[in-house]
Amino acid sequence: MSVETETPMETAATPNSGADIHPAAQPFLFLTRDKVRRNFLWLPLVGLIICSVLGVFHPQKHPLPYEQYIPGSWAIFGFLVFCGVGLCATTFAHFLARPESYYGEGGLPDPEDSLEASEAKGDAT
Amino acid sequence: MIDAIPLLAEINPGFWVILAGLICALLPIGSLRKAFVIAVPLIAGVLIFQLHDPTQAARLGGVLQFGPVELTTFRLDSLSLIWAYLFCLAGIINGIYGLHEKCRITDSSALIYTGAAISGVLAGDMITLFIMWELTAISSVFLIWKGGEQAYAAGIRYLAIQVLSGVMLLTGAILHAQANGGDFTFGAIGLDSPGGWLMLLAMGIKCGFPMLHMWMQDAYPKASITGTVILASFTTKFAIYALARGFAGEGILIWVGAIMAIFPIAFAIVENDLRRILSYSINSQLGFMVAGIGVGSAMALNGVAGHVFVNVLAKGLLFMSVGAVMHRVGTAKASELGGLFRSMPFSTGFALVGAMTLAATPLFAGFITKAFILTAVIEEHHYVPFVLLLLGAAGMVGFAEIKVPYSAFFGRDSGRRVKEAPWNMHLAMGIAAFICVYLAWPFGGYAQLYALMPFEMKYAYKPYTVDHVAFQLQLLFGVLFAFNLFLRWKRYRAPQRAEVLDVDWLYRRMGLNVSLWASAMWTRLSAVTRQQRNRFLGTAGRKFYQTFSPAGAASEATPSGLAAVLTAGLLFIVLMVAYIAR
Repeated sequence: MSVETETPMETAATPNSGADIHPAAQPFLFLTRDKVRRNFLWLPLVGLIICSVLGVFHPQKHPLPYEQYIPGSWAIFGFLVFCGVGLCATTFAHFLARPESYYGEGGLPDPEDSLEASEAKGDAT
Repeated sequence: MIDAIPLLAEINPGFWVILAGLICALLPIGSLRKAFVIAVPLIAGVLIFQLHDPTQAARLGGVLQFGPVELTTFRLDSLSLIWAYLFCLAGIINGIYGLHEKCRITDSSALIYTGAAISGVLAGDMITLFIMWELTAISSVFLIWKGGEQAYAAGIRYLAIQVLSGVMLLTGAILHAQANGGDFTFGAIGLDSPGGWLMLLAMGIKCGFPMLHMWMQDAYPKASITGTVILASFTTKFAIYALARGFAGEGILIWVGAIMAIFPIAFAIVENDLRRILSYSINSQLGFMVAGIGVGSAMALNGVAGHVFVNVLAKGLLFMSVGAVMHRVGTAKASELGGLFRSMPFSTGFALVGAMTLAATPLFAGFITKAFILTAVIEEHHYVPFVLLLLGAAGMVGFAEIKVPYSAFFGRDSGRRVKEAPWNMHLAMGIAAFICVYLAWPFGGYAQLYALMPFEMKYAYKPYTVDHVAFQLQLLFGVLFAFNLFLRWKRYRAPQRAEVLDVDWLYRRMGLNVSLWASAMWTRLSAVTRQQRNRFLGTAGRKFYQTFSPAGAASEATPSGLAAVLTAGLLFIVLMVAYIAR
């Protein structure tokens, strides 16, 4: 398999210099700015509020019992599900995650320039 | 074409694809093989189109008589039609995606696998269904083994489980046919007989019922890049077809489906391998389909058929984009990736289309098909399963459909600058993405999807109503907002290298350890009890010898008449026991 990569160490110095960026990706580089990333939060919030208001004026044809009394019910549900599961992630990991060599069959493939894999091997030796 | 060659109307079109796969195995010229891989599913699709007669309820052909058993090897009706078209389309797309891979085994096994899946959904009897069931398993295992040395054990486990499923299907089919006067026609089966339960279990293995699902997450991520894309298209969807045909309206499936939709979330959140996350996502989406089959109304079954169609394309799209990443970077581990949209913008775009389709975003086909199933569930007042399905939808949006593109293409910049995917991968992804968008297009697009749906409904479901769009967007924005909050507050669990334990731990670890322990115990026990065992075996052997040897008591001059009387007596006892037991 051909792996045409540069090592992360070589490219990390100038991650967005433009020379190594695909031309079609250039217009979207603004997405990597810290300010944009920080403020991206407001986009779903505004959308959530608009859709919740719309939901009040256009209720569902087949709501769950008592759902009509909770404005933005699906937004609240989606938010709570993500938060609930997301907060349990560490607990899930505690019970389910084991070292990659756990079954002794060899893990899934690593890239040739994997820093993590070499660090892991270094730890093991 | 059909009029000119009447034989074509008698033969299951999938058989031609299988035959082409066998020929492919002998073809040494790579470009000719590639032409076969793309052209043959296309020709099969055209053949099915020609054979389909909308005025007929079903077209039957290839009737074979084996003693009392009659087999109908070809049946084309409205239910099998959509699956047959889908498998032909998936075969073409997969063929294009794998154009760069010069491998005779992949080409021929992909064609045989595609052909077996097409033949299976077009089978009119349970014996043909069983043969195709097993052929899909046997042909696809080569795609897993092409994943390299680390895939060998997973391939063996996959094969064992799939063959077990086939054996259960055959046993169930025989029991079911026995209870129905020897009729092997594959129709509604139900759960009135042990045969029905066995067949349900067999199909449950293949479509990933909870606790029977682990083969999928074990084998899919270990297959070759093209292999995973092909595997994700057929096996589970073939099983969904069989369930829809045999067990539509079985209430237990609503609950099974609801549990299937939610349990993969816990694994997806911890998993590091993107292809394994997508395998869990398949499991969750299959839950929607199983629940729809359990509801069994026309709307639900149309939703299932539509969702299978859309799911193969959208999930395939995500598998293809992750495959493109793997092709360039060499891994699908989220902990090694990030920021790849800078190098692979087109693959990123296709992955986003796939993710938005699976997340049921308006203007993407999943928005329509998922709504069919959810509406059918709530129309029948199954409130708790509805909430569970919604939970599954929200959870998988957060921890699969957002996580996969985010980890690979956005997130922290891994610093990797690679080439874009090869043109053939782009073409395959482009076709799948176009169909995902086209089938949701409000001005005539989704009407095409409706035209493929197998059952007539009481009313034409309108997907683009303000309430449907608003509530679906509420769910998506709610999840997206929480995701962004987690990122900002650094509560989002970064991908970490790990082997995630699943039900297969029971036989890969515990089962193995128990058998090792039993073996060690036996060795010790054997050493301690050797004397007693030898003494016991010696005494028993002597007694046997004294009784049955030529010089033994049984060979002494007993009158042969007495022996005849004894034999007759034994026969009488056996006959009486058999009579009473009956």
